Amino acid sequence: MFKKTLAGALLLLFANISMAELVVVVHPSNADALDSKLVQRIFLGKEKKFPSGSETVAVNQSADSSLRQSFDQDVLGRSSSQVSAYWSKLVFTGKGVPPKEVSSDAEVIELVSQNPAVIGYIDRASATDAVKIVEL
Amino acid sequence: MKKLMTNLSILATSMLVIGNANADVRVNGFANFTAGITASDDALYGFDDRVSFSEQSLFAVQVSGDINDKMTATGQIVARGSEDFDASFDWAYITYAATDNTSVSAGRLRLPLFQYSASLDVAYSYHWVIAPQSIYNVPFNNIDGVRIDHSGYAGDWEYNFQATGGAIDNDFVLGGQPGQIAIDNVVVLSGELAYESWKFRGVYGIGKVTFDLPALNPALGQLGQISAELGSTLAAIDDTGTFSGLSIVYDNFNWFVASEFTLLEIEQSYYPKNTSYYVTAGYRAGKWTPFITYEKSDSNNDPKFVEQIGGFPAPFQGPLTQLVVGIQQGVASEDSTLSVGIRYDFDTNVALKADISKNTNDINDDENTLMRFAINYVF
Repeated sequence: MFKKTLAGALLLLFANISMAELVVVVHPSNADALDSKLVQRIFLGKEKKFPSGSETVAVNQSADSSLRQSFDQDVLGRSSSQVSAYWSKLVFTGKGVPPKEVSSDAEVIELVSQNPAVIGYIDRASATDAVKIVEL
Repeated sequence: MKKLMTNLSILATSMLVIGNANADVRVNGFANFTAGITASDDALYGFDDRVSFSEQSLFAVQVSGDINDKMTATGQIVARGSEDFDASFDWAYITYAATDNTSVSAGRLRLPLFQYSASLDVAYSYHWVIAPQSIYNVPFNNIDGVRIDHSGYAGDWEYNFQATGGAIDNDFVLGGQPGQIAIDNVVVLSGELAYESWKFRGVYGIGKVTFDLPALNPALGQLGQISAELGSTLAAIDDTGTFSGLSIVYDNFNWFVASEFTLLEIEQSYYPKNTSYYVTAGYRAGKWTPFITYEKSDSNNDPKFVEQIGGFPAPFQGPLTQLVVGIQQGVASEDSTLSVGIRYDFDTNVALKADISKNTNDINDDENTLMRFAINYVF
């Protein structure tokens, strides 16, 4: 058990060094307090409003990006395949439409900065003044 | 196969036309390409000991478009191998989103009978090659009617309630004989609660059931000639049928256990009470998910209405018993199925699966073994 934890911790350490640090971003005017559970619900289509009552529009990164994989694993708590299986259930029952996918941090920033409803995630290093970082 | 190609190209063409006409139309699809072969001289779910692709393969395209802010139209066209890949509208409904939590759908839609009803045909969405047939292979998975969905959460509990009403009219097979089933005044209520890794679900349905099973008509006719009352008691004509089900799922994304139990009864008819359940478990090791499932379906009960025969004069009791018991035994069944299989997540929208199932007819101990391979795809 200890060995496994240690190996996991080492892996995480390396992952953090070699990979981007993921942060959730919203429009600078968004004053809502967001926690990881709410972000999870928004990205799984379970919650359609911010606590203030305004609409949410989630924006995903493309399925093959490493940022997307770590978002699925760390924030949504499941593998990208499982997230895709989850959405296939909703899509084919007419209950939901998965978040739109974009292929770069710049596109996420552009969409977030133009629309107070949009919520996305990027590498912390890409963040600009046009977006507000949400500390989860 | 040629027919399939023709159907698919018609689908593709019509999608293209719709797609061009309106940019807000979403087109999604899914396919299950399933091959199966039984052990020598065995037969199961329509498969035999020559490789067949048609029994459980299907291709589907779903088109949905926003009519306005609140209304969405959805159509799902499915071509099933078991129906010679004849494409037909399985679902066609309009959904009105009354609020963020409540929606009303009307048209032809999926009846929420089971835990996996909603995505029953989308094999990609679950671990099995196909959902356990002991439970899911019912002739009334779709309904023409109205469904109200209400979902939300209270604290860490998520809830989802559905109320469905409408009518069902379908081909079906009972006791190996083809016929027609009609269910009127259907009302189905279901509720699901989810908390962390747990999901609990309950369902109750009621309707007026009419069976038309030509193979049984001579026997029912004879019975009616001796006793009109017994004849009409046994016949399933406008009789109240009830369906209830419970399910529980534990899934922590590393491993899962799930079980579902259903009870189907049409008391004033020859249809024997059916109880079915399955228990399934699996372990996710990266892209691999090995799993095991045990299923049981049992409608092999003591015959009903036998006590009423005692009231008839002695000479009639022999033939009456023969008819009353014979009709019910002809449609009774009891079988259990054990299967082991594996799912491999090939890509985020493609899964490869294989399983081996051993089905035992618990009345005559006949055993049938089936091996299947499947490619599941969603887009």
